[in-house]
Amino acid sequence: MRKTIRATAATAISLWVLAAHAQVIPPAAQNRSIITTDAVQYLFPEQVSVPAGKPSPVTLHFRVAQGLHINSHTPSDEFLIPTDFSIPDGMGVRLGAATYPPGTIIWLAFEPKTKLSVYTGEFEIQARIVATPGNHLVQAKLHYQACDQNQCMPPKTINVPIDVIGK
Amino acid sequence: MRRNTIVLTAVLFILAIFAWAGWANWEYRRQAAEKLLAGAGQGELVPAPGGDAMNYVSPLNGKPAPAFALQNLSGGKISLAGYKGKAVMINFWATWCGPCKVETPWIVELRNKYAAQGFEVLGVDTEGDDLAASDKAGWAKAETNANKFVTEMKVPYPVLLDGDSISRDYGGLDDLPASFFVDRSGKIVAASVGLTSESDIEGNIKKALAN
Repeated sequence: MRKTIRATAATAISLWVLAAHAQVIPPAAQNRSIITTDAVQYLFPEQVSVPAGKPSPVTLHFRVAQGLHINSHTPSDEFLIPTDFSIPDGMGVRLGAATYPPGTIIWLAFEPKTKLSVYTGEFEIQARIVATPGNHLVQAKLHYQACDQNQCMPPKTINVPIDVIGK
Repeated sequence: MRRNTIVLTAVLFILAIFAWAGWANWEYRRQAAEKLLAGAGQGELVPAPGGDAMNYVSPLNGKPAPAFALQNLSGGKISLAGYKGKAVMINFWATWCGPCKVETPWIVELRNKYAAQGFEVLGVDTEGDDLAASDKAGWAKAETNANKFVTEMKVPYPVLLDGDSISRDYGGLDDLPASFFVDRSGKIVAASVGLTSESDIEGNIKKALAN
């Protein structure tokens, strides 16, 4: 019985230590740039059901914040950073291929000679995924770099959370 | 036996409280994250205080420019302290930044115009914001891009790498280009964020040279 009590007490102490580390961070105390620089938002789908082991098309919807643009997947200049979708290994879901929309061609007031291929507003990426059987909470990634007319924000990678059910 | 039962019950009760606290903590953070994401969806670039880039008032204005020593493209170390007695424009830029590309020829021209009066530009490349420290290939590519950019633009002034390591000291640079104008005594006299105009930059250079 004593052993049981000791083991239980040790578990309780461990849990207390874990709880102490997992402290709540109030939103106001978090980095301001989380809001000001999240130029792209993932819209939907939150959940998809696909046949296990077979390449299946999934349309992913994103939105670029008003007043901003991000480079398309095929930007017009070698220095510009393309928008890129990926799924990290080990999530039970593999990205076979991704089809990106063509960019809208724009030019900025300060440099009318330079044409840019960009996404603005809402855009879609067609991903062909292959899932193993089961339920997978996939944290896919979207890498992009956003600007407005006069300034640019650093490149960023956002999580694209999708619950993929392989049947 | 009864005592043991009481102790065991008490421990189980404490465990239940921990479990509840953990769940409440997770739920609170989930809701906070949702709020942040919702806010981000409606995000817009907010104009700089003062309305435009030219009138941007940095909290660093009137204060000594934060010291730094960074590696340049040739591998040497360049420190701000080495430019004491000169007026310096610290220009944060990146190759992926279109507006930076537009203003670079202006900066080159102005640097050459005012160099004889004791003016220098330090270009600070902030290429790798999104790169992990372990991403050696990414950093190597960033350096290659910076070299290419500098060659194409015929940049005559020192270009320093790893601007991210000093960006916090300069107010956290969320947007590029960003420039700080330092007078001969090492004090920041003007700053700008975003693309301005050649005449705005020249005005700030004159301010730095005048003090």
